[in-house]
Amino acid sequence: MPRPSPKALNPLRAPQSYFRIYLRRSAIGLPAKQAGVLDALGLRRRTATVYHPVTPDVAGQIFRVKELVDVEEVDRPLDKKEIKARRTPATGYYVESRAGSAWADE
Amino acid sequence: MFGPFRATQSLSVGLLWKIPWRLSPTQKARQRKRLRRVDDVVATLDHALAKLRMSTKKLERWKEEMPREEEMLPKDKYTVFDRKEKKYRKALHKLPKWTRVSQRLNPPGF
Repeated sequence: MPRPSPKALNPLRAPQSYFRIYLRRSAIGLPAKQAGVLDALGLRRRTATVYHPVTPDVAGQIFRVKELVDVEEVDRPLDKKEIKARRTPATGYYVESRAGSAWADE
Repeated sequence: MFGPFRATQSLSVGLLWKIPWRLSPTQKARQRKRLRRVDDVVATLDHALAKLRMSTKKLERWKEEMPREEEMLPKDKYTVFDRKEKKYRKALHKLPKWTRVSQRLNPPGF
């Protein structure tokens, strides 16, 4: 989906923010329209998360599937790497020194 | 004795569906949670658009007409109008896809 530039969206120069949309319930067995809206939003499977800029168009799309999604307003979209980093738990250990590092200076 | 084709009452006696006529307290609690979740989504959309001094027709109409979870009567939360039913009400879980549809308003007087 081509993302319109922030200036075009906000003539009032309000800071651009995004909707974080999380698909909580699937549209299986619901009218095809709702499945179509999910597809248009880029939500292809349950537990998927997408970011869209705050516009009336996107709000209307979310409104159509409001029973299926969770929505938050965020300052910026997270990319895949950041999402993964947030999901990954701490390793439970830390490295004091690498093996062989004592000989590295010589 | 076991498995999908076991001789249970509902399979051997013909038309016998053992679906309770009313919601359990847990089902009701979850229903309230779902209602609040939809309220939250609508509030988020409204809040985000209001910052840009924008809104949509549907959003305005929803805010005007639809009661929020805490404003609803228990009767409307857990039952729906049905003209075929005695006293014109049936439990909400008889409504197809009841966990994924917004059913908040009923005909006035019923």
